[in-house]
Amino acid sequence: MAVLVEVVLEDVTKTFGDVKAVDGISLNVNEGELFFLLGPSGCGKTTTLRLIAGFYKPDEGKILFDKELMNNVPPNKRNVGMVFQNYALWPHMTVYDNITYGLKVRGVPASLRVKKAKEVLRIVKMEKYATRYPNQLSGGQQQRIALARALVIEPDVLLLDEPLSNLDAKLRLETREEIKRIQKELGITTIYVTHDQNEALSMADRIAVMNEGRIEQIGTPRDIYNNPRNKFVAGFIGETNFIEGRLEDIIEEKELAVIKTVTGETIYAKIRGKNFSKGKKVFCSVRPERIRVLSSNLRKDKAETINLFSAKIQRLTYYGFAEHYILEAMNKEIKATNFSPRASNHKEGDDVYFTFDPNDVNVFQAD
Amino acid sequence: MNLAYKISLRNIAWKTFSLFLLIMAFFSVFLFLPILYVFKGALFVNGQFTFLYFTLMFQDAFYRESILNSVKIGIFATLLTSLISIPMALLMVRYDFPGKRILQGLLLVPLVMPPFVGAIGMKQLFARYGSVNLLLLRLNLIREPIDWFGGGFIGIIILEALHLYPYLYLNISAALANIDPTLEEQAENLGASGFRLFRTVTLPLMFPGYIAGAIIVFIWAFTDLGTPLIFEYRKALPPIIFSMVKDIWTNPMGYALTVFTLMISVSFVIAARRYAGGKSYEMLGRGHIAPRIRRITGWKTPLIYVLIILMVLAAMTPQISVILTSLAEQWFLTVLPTAYSLRYYEVAFTHEVTAVSIINSLKYSLLSTAIDVMLGILIGYLLARRTFPGRDILDAVAMLPLAIPGIVIAFGYVSVFTGTPLDPFYDPTILLIISYSVRRLPYTVRAAYAGFQQTSVSLEEASLSVGASQVRTLFSITIPLIMANVIAGGIMSFSAAMMEVSTSMILANREAFYPITKAIYSINLRLGDGPYVASALGIIGTIIVTSCLLAANRLLGKSMGELFRA
Repeated sequence: MAVLVEVVLEDVTKTFGDVKAVDGISLNVNEGELFFLLGPSGCGKTTTLRLIAGFYKPDEGKILFDKELMNNVPPNKRNVGMVFQNYALWPHMTVYDNITYGLKVRGVPASLRVKKAKEVLRIVKMEKYATRYPNQLSGGQQQRIALARALVIEPDVLLLDEPLSNLDAKLRLETREEIKRIQKELGITTIYVTHDQNEALSMADRIAVMNEGRIEQIGTPRDIYNNPRNKFVAGFIGETNFIEGRLEDIIEEKELAVIKTVTGETIYAKIRGKNFSKGKKVFCSVRPERIRVLSSNLRKDKAETINLFSAKIQRLTYYGFAEHYILEAMNKEIKATNFSPRASNHKEGDDVYFTFDPNDVNVFQAD
Repeated sequence: MNLAYKISLRNIAWKTFSLFLLIMAFFSVFLFLPILYVFKGALFVNGQFTFLYFTLMFQDAFYRESILNSVKIGIFATLLTSLISIPMALLMVRYDFPGKRILQGLLLVPLVMPPFVGAIGMKQLFARYGSVNLLLLRLNLIREPIDWFGGGFIGIIILEALHLYPYLYLNISAALANIDPTLEEQAENLGASGFRLFRTVTLPLMFPGYIAGAIIVFIWAFTDLGTPLIFEYRKALPPIIFSMVKDIWTNPMGYALTVFTLMISVSFVIAARRYAGGKSYEMLGRGHIAPRIRRITGWKTPLIYVLIILMVLAAMTPQISVILTSLAEQWFLTVLPTAYSLRYYEVAFTHEVTAVSIINSLKYSLLSTAIDVMLGILIGYLLARRTFPGRDILDAVAMLPLAIPGIVIAFGYVSVFTGTPLDPFYDPTILLIISYSVRRLPYTVRAAYAGFQQTSVSLEEASLSVGASQVRTLFSITIPLIMANVIAGGIMSFSAAMMEVSTSMILANREAFYPITKAIYSINLRLGDGPYVASALGIIGTIIVTSCLLAANRLLGKSMGELFRA
């Protein structure tokens, strides 16, 4: 069983030429945690991972494993297991030789090497393949061997660089579960880089969302999805509608913000303790699945009915388990998803209403 | 902490940089200094700067004609080579037919025998009273013998072309095979076909590859020393320079001619680079599109066979003629030898000059190849894996020997090292080894560099991440992975060293140190059985080179080649 290690980054910066790939990031990965770095390509997530692995040295800032400064420790002295995006299995060695290489380097005696290799191959369910060469394995099998090679040295930290990106969709789902199981079984502090939000949401203990070399938000999957801190996070994680407007008023006792959209409608939104100043330009973010589409024959009689707007159905796509609307309203396209389409019988071109709860609106001040 | 980090970074860069300086020191002594001496010899006479010898060179009708002849030989040989290799490459890359692999192999045969050895055999066949003229006279087709060699000039061009076309053929084939098939398919989709397709899409895309090969052909033909010597053709730059080596201390004209030869070579290289450089295209192609190979059917089949077999026969004429000569017991004023024996092989293996030369060549070539392999891996590694000030310089310098004729390097060595412990007139061993390795270094550098490029850096990083040191990673991961490339480059270096002519001719001045090529030249001059023994020795050298190439092909072509493909 691995020793649990805490990984801390303090104000780490890495520049390539004129490009700040990583721009003063700080984060704290707890012992035994499955921590995700999530962001679009070029956001600096892989650079961050390679800084932790030791392939790059930070220009500024500190990298600490259990409070021990690692900045000048070369990669081969960090006891970090890494799984590369392309797996990086050595083509001139068998599976067994690939796996035991790290043990040999550490001077582990032969009998123990055999034992450990068997054990790790059992964990990744590849016992039968020890004598194969990498080019005789499928993509999924290669991925498991790359994982086994990283695990067998009993690393303090396990680093995974987009480990599933070269697998097909079905295998990817299976392997997600597999990696999560192994990580929890062994309890290794793990940092996982991906651009796939579904991977991050479904696997992570916590996620750091990165953009342009900075960390936008760190939190649990639920936290990040439901309470995105800014417009980037709201837009990058999941689908959303952004509605531009101006903050008219704040009703303190109800914690409601009153927002006038550019096309004149009024949106009410929970302010959730955020500080806003009146008159400022804001964006409202509303997830499609939080929007309900209502028939136009519904009477619009209740005075306190808020966040109810008229629209026309521009496109309607039926998926069986859901139906997806593109509505024409507020001079833009509003996406809405209905996950129980049984009762609805809308058609494209219908005039409808749509509505959402003030609790389901996230308001961000424009810069 | 910041400070400590900066210092360690400087240390790493410093290690790389000192390696770079060490390599540059080697090049300075064995490449730049000799060239510098040649320039000094041509431009400074008695401590005075002067263009006098260049002026004299152009005023003298003999020199003027010789310069012109050499340039003509270079250009005509390149044209003839192109004429042979472009259609052959197109046929071989684009069409499929039974027996293709064998014909493809036979097309490369001329690589293994230097043209001056071929010339010895060809003289038996095409001399004034050689087999061909005798046959034609006997059949009453001609009354007077024909001068097939045009006084040597045409002979040289033909021999050079027949030896050199594989270089161009290989370059063009690689360029053609590298063209993304979708580019041509797109052109066809838009309505182009046939010659128009070739002219507008295929030709421009393969042109950089063609130029890269053509420039090697030009420099080789322009500066080849052996072939003019065998044809006793004196009105060309290389033989004139060769005849002046021994009196470079009294007559600076040798220096001036050498400088001029270098200038022409280098300006052709620069012109070619300029022309092709801006036109090298990245192929975008990924995906799995089958290459455009068509099966030949119908009336075209016999036509293509006849074409290729004629070509292969023509290309192998020098080899065949040398084999015949080496086996001929009696061959005087008859179409074919009147009796055959292995007598001359016996002489070649026992005569003191020739027997020693075989051992010498093996020794020189093995050692020069060892240097090339080590330097090749080192330079390839620095170029592919490190960034340091001077990286571009190293890249250019490592490829420079391709543009510098052997006679220039050899001439420079004589002028730098005479009177030093490396004096070529006393013991040329070290200079021969180093001159071979400097000249053929680009092969191993390119091969190793390509190996590093094809080997993903993450394979090395994976090794570091599981705890291996840099050195251990180099030996257990990197070198095994690039070994196939390095061996291929090494074999190329070795074969070229075994058959290296110009530096051998100039640097080896005592019989005890002769390599095979110089021994062939020297024994050929012997009255009586000279050409026969020279031919036998040529065949022995050819067999050694051929078996090396076959071994490498087998080694790399099968198991290793497949092993290292992901």
